[in-house]
Amino acid sequence: MKTEPAHQHPALKPLHFDTVVNVSDFVKRYKKEVAVNGVDLEIRKGEIYGLIGPDGAGKSSLMKAIAGVLTYDGGAVEVFGTRVDSERAAERIKPKIGFLPQGLGLNLYPELSIEENIDFFAHLRLVPDKDVGERKARLLAMTRLDRFRDRPMKNLSGGMKQKLGLICTLIHEPELAILDEPTTGVDPVSRRDFWSILAELLEENGMTALVSTAYMDEAERFHRLSFLSGGKVLVSGTPTEVRALVPGSIVTFEATPQLEAIDRLKASFRQVESLGPLLHVFVDSIDRSEATSQIEAALGDLTHSSFRVDEPELEDVFVALLLLKTDQKEAFSSVSASAVGHDRDGFAIEAQGLIRDFGSFRAVDRVSFQVKQGEIFGLLGANGAGKTTVIKMLNGILLPTGGTGLVAGAEMRTASGTIKQRIGYMSQAFSLYLDLTVEENIRLFAGIYGLDKRSMINRYQWIVTMAGLSGYESSLTSRLPMGVRQRLALGCALVHSPRVLFLDEPTSGVDPIGRRHFWDILSRLAREEGVAMLVTTHYMSEAEHCDNLALMYAGRIVAEGSPADMKRHIEQEAGLLFEVITDQPSQALVRLQQAGFHGAALFGTRLHVFCRDPLRDKACACQALEDSGVRVISVNERPLSLEDVFVYRVMALERIEMSAKQEAAA
Amino acid sequence: MISRVGIVPETARLWVVRLFAMTRKELLQLGRDVPLLLFLIYSFSLSVYVSGAGIAMQLTNASLLVHDGDHSESSRELIHRFREPYFRFDGEVQDPDDGLRQLDQGTAMVLLDIPPRFHESIHGREPVSVQLQVDTTNAPQGLSAAAYAARIVGRFSFDLALSRLGAASDGNMRMPMVDSAHRVWFNQDQDETWFQSISHILRMITLFAFLLPAAALVREKEHGTVEQLLVSPVTPLQIMLSKVLAMTLVILAATVLATVSVLKPVFGVPIRGSAVLFLLLTALYSFTTAGLGLFAATITKNQAQVGMVALLVISPMLLLSGITTPFGAMPSWVQTLMALSPLRYYIDITYGILLKGIGLDLLWDSVLAMALLGGTMFGLGMWRFRRQFA
Repeated sequence: MKTEPAHQHPALKPLHFDTVVNVSDFVKRYKKEVAVNGVDLEIRKGEIYGLIGPDGAGKSSLMKAIAGVLTYDGGAVEVFGTRVDSERAAERIKPKIGFLPQGLGLNLYPELSIEENIDFFAHLRLVPDKDVGERKARLLAMTRLDRFRDRPMKNLSGGMKQKLGLICTLIHEPELAILDEPTTGVDPVSRRDFWSILAELLEENGMTALVSTAYMDEAERFHRLSFLSGGKVLVSGTPTEVRALVPGSIVTFEATPQLEAIDRLKASFRQVESLGPLLHVFVDSIDRSEATSQIEAALGDLTHSSFRVDEPELEDVFVALLLLKTDQKEAFSSVSASAVGHDRDGFAIEAQGLIRDFGSFRAVDRVSFQVKQGEIFGLLGANGAGKTTVIKMLNGILLPTGGTGLVAGAEMRTASGTIKQRIGYMSQAFSLYLDLTVEENIRLFAGIYGLDKRSMINRYQWIVTMAGLSGYESSLTSRLPMGVRQRLALGCALVHSPRVLFLDEPTSGVDPIGRRHFWDILSRLAREEGVAMLVTTHYMSEAEHCDNLALMYAGRIVAEGSPADMKRHIEQEAGLLFEVITDQPSQALVRLQQAGFHGAALFGTRLHVFCRDPLRDKACACQALEDSGVRVISVNERPLSLEDVFVYRVMALERIEMSAKQEAAA
Repeated sequence: MISRVGIVPETARLWVVRLFAMTRKELLQLGRDVPLLLFLIYSFSLSVYVSGAGIAMQLTNASLLVHDGDHSESSRELIHRFREPYFRFDGEVQDPDDGLRQLDQGTAMVLLDIPPRFHESIHGREPVSVQLQVDTTNAPQGLSAAAYAARIVGRFSFDLALSRLGAASDGNMRMPMVDSAHRVWFNQDQDETWFQSISHILRMITLFAFLLPAAALVREKEHGTVEQLLVSPVTPLQIMLSKVLAMTLVILAATVLATVSVLKPVFGVPIRGSAVLFLLLTALYSFTTAGLGLFAATITKNQAQVGMVALLVISPMLLLSGITTPFGAMPSWVQTLMALSPLRYYIDITYGILLKGIGLDLLWDSVLAMALLGGTMFGLGMWRFRRQFA
C-alpha cells in the first residue's frame, strides 16, 4: 500500500486504476549525502506530471531511477506494474520508456545532421523502417524542423536542439516519456512551442509524461505536480489543489518611498517583493476588500497607487509553503549603505547606434538605449538575438563595428581598460572558483581589482554582511547551497564598489526564497546606493524585477519600456488575457484556434486566450466551445506576464519575417 | 609632470598586485587537488628511485648456454671466462638444436658452441673457431652481448698466443702491442643510476611543465571562469603569466624534492656546479615548456583533450631531445629537428652543471638557444590566447 502524504488534498483518490508509475518512500544517497529522502509519487496514464524544484532538490535522481538507469537505496519504484529493483527488471521496462537527460542536446551527436540523429535513435530502438519515415515526417513537421533536415546538430539554436532531443526521445513511441529539465536555457518562445508539441503528442499517442523544471512559472503547465525541496516532497496535487492549500491574494501597487514601504509591510506580511516600481504582497485573505484594507493599515501615512488584487501564482504558494515549513523569515538584514555618497544623476550606460558585424552577418544592428544610475534595466531576447554581443561590447571585450557607447563615464572604443575597472560582472554561479573557499574567492577578486589592504578588509566585511555569508567564510564554494553561491558571486562582482553591474541570468536554478532574497539585495543596491544594473535573461520572472526593459530580436531592439508599459501595449494590441477552464481542454484548444483565436495556448488543463474586445470575444469564444460540445466551467481575466509579452512580440515578428521570405521566394 | 610620476608607480603596483592575486589562486587550487599533488610527489620521488635503480642498459646476467663438443681443459677454460655480472652460465645443452630452441623461446640469450677437437686443434697449432649465436631482439643488449663475447674470445686466443710465445722466449714478452687505457671522467664509477635518475627527472619536469599550466587554463575554459576574468581588469598576459609562475614554482620545489630525497642520499649524485644556477635554468626551461602547454590549451576544449595533445607533443620531444639516444647517432635531418627541442639544450645544461660542474661561461650558447626557443613558444601561446578571447 502506498501511503499518501498528510498534506495532500483529500479529494485525491488514493489509488488509481491506470497508474503508470508508483514510487513509495524513495531514498537515494550519494556517499553520505542524502539526495532524495522518502518521496512518494503516483503518475497516471495520459497526464503530464511535473517535478518542480530548484537545482539539487533531487529531481534528476528520482527521474533516473524511474527510467531504470540509477540504483537507489530505499523504498520501491514500480513502472508499468514492474518493480524496478534489478538490471533485468529495468531492461523489461526500458522499451516502453523514452528518457531525455538534462542538458541541451547532451543525448545528441553534434556532428550528425538532424535526420541522421533521428535515424540513429530509430535504429537503436529497432523501429521498423516503414514506420521511421512516417513518424519522422510527422514529428519534423510538428516541430517545424523539416526545413533543416541536413543541418548538423551543433549548428542548431538551443530551442531547436531541445526539439530534436524530444523527437529522438519519442521516435519509438514510448508509453512514458521522462524529460529532465527540457526547458532550461531555452528562450520563452521555444519553451512555449515545446509545451504545445508535448501536449499534442500526448493527446495523439496516449502517452504519459514526467517532466521536471526549475522554472516555477511552468508549474501551471502540468496536470499534476510535486514540488521538491531538499530531497523531499513539499506539496503535490493538481495546480488547483495546491493553490487551495494556501488561500490568499496578491496585491500589487506602487508606494513611495518604496524602501520605507517595504520595511513597514515586512513587519506584517511574510512575502513582500519589489518588482521595479511595483510592490507585490501576499495577503492571507481571499476577500479583496479585506486584503486591501490590511495593506492600507500596514502602509499607514505613505502615499500609494490604486491596488490590483489577483489570485496568487503557484510560485507565491510555493514560497508561502516553504516559509511555513522552514519557519524562515523572508525579511533579511538590510544592507548598510556605504559611507560614500554617490551621485545619482546622469546615465551609467549610454549606447548610441551600436553595430557589430561578424563577417557578413550583422549580429547587432543600431542598438541604442540608456540606463540611469540606480536603474535596473533588462535586456531580453532569445538565444542569438544579440544580447551577449551587446554585453561584450559594453564590457570592453569586443570592439563595435559602428556606434558609440559610454559605460560608467568611459568611452568603450578607447577606454576599455577603464570600463573593466569600473564595472562588476556576474554570470551564473559557475564563474566562481569552486575549489576555493568563500574568503579566498573574495580575496582573489579584491586582488584582481587592486584593492589595498584597508579597503579590502572593509569590503570583505561588507560583502559577508550583505550576502549573509557569515559562518560560511572558510567553506569550499562547491559545498555551498546554490542560493548562497549566487550571493557570493554577487559579492565578488561588487568587491570594488562598481557603479555599474552586469548580470547574466543571475538566479537560474536557485530556489524561490533564495531568488527573492537575491532580488531584495539587488533592488536595495539600486535604490540605496544608486548602482545601475543591466540584466540579461530569458527567465521572465527575473525580467519582472526590472525598471525598464528592451526586447531584442535579430540584432535589433524591437520593444522598449517599463514592464507595465509593455504589458499595456500588448493589451491595446491583442486585448486582455483570459483563462478558460473547460472539461475537455485539448478539444477546446483546437476549437478555439479554428474560431480564429490564434494566440490560444494550453496550460495544463487551462487555456489562455487573448480577447481584443473582452465582452464580444469572450461570448464568441464560449459560443464556439459550447457548439462543439465542450463545457465551459469558468472564464477569468488573468494578469499578463512578461512571458506573454515576449512570446506575443517575437511570434508577431517571426510571422512578418516568414511572410517576407515567402514573398521573396514567390 | 608630478602627476605622471604618481601614476606610473600606481599602475605598476596594481599590475603586481593582480599578478600576485592570480598566482596565489593557482597555488591554492593546486593545493586542493590532492590526487594531482600525490601524483606529482610520487613522480619526483619514488618514481625517480625506481627508474634509477631499476632500468639498466648495461649488459647484466645475460643467460648463456653452452654446447661443449670437446669437454676438454681448454673448453672449460674458455667457458669460465664468461663471467658475472655480464653473463650467467645457465648450463650445457647436449644438442645445439636444443640450444637454438631455447633462444627462440627467449629463455637464453647467448649460445656458445665449442666444436669437438677444440683442445687438440689449439695445441696442434691449427686455427679453430667457436660459434656464438646471440638473440638480438633487444638490439642494444644483444649487440653488447656479442661484443663482450667477441672480446672474451679474442682475449682468450691472445693469452693463448702469449703463453705459447712466452714458452718460446723464457717468459719475456717482447712483441709490439698497443694497450688502450681509459680514464673515465665525470662519472668515475660509471654508475648508470646517475644518468637514468637524472634523465627521469628531466622527463618529469617536461611533462609537468607542459601539463600543469595547460590543465589549469583549460579548466578555466571548461568552468567558464575565464569569462569572469576577461571582464575584469586582468590582462591575458597576467592570466597566462600567473599560471606559468605558479607551476614553475611547484616544479622547482619538486626538483628540489627529487634532489634531496633521491638523487643525493640514494644514488649519491654529486652536484658539482652551482645549484642556484641549475634551479634558475630549470625555471627558464619550465617557463618555455609552459608556453607550449598554454598554446595547447588554447586549441583544446577540455582536460582530456589537453592530456592527449600532451602525449602527442611530449613523446617526440623526449625522443628528439637525446634523452634516450645520443645526438650523434641520429640521421642528419633528425639532428636538425632536434635543434628545435628546448629539452636538448636543457639536457646539456643539466649534465653540464650537475656532473661536469661547468658554468655559464661554457653553457651560454645552450642557454641562449633555450631562451630564444622558449620566448617564441610563449609568444605563440599568448598570441593564440589573445586571439581566442579578446
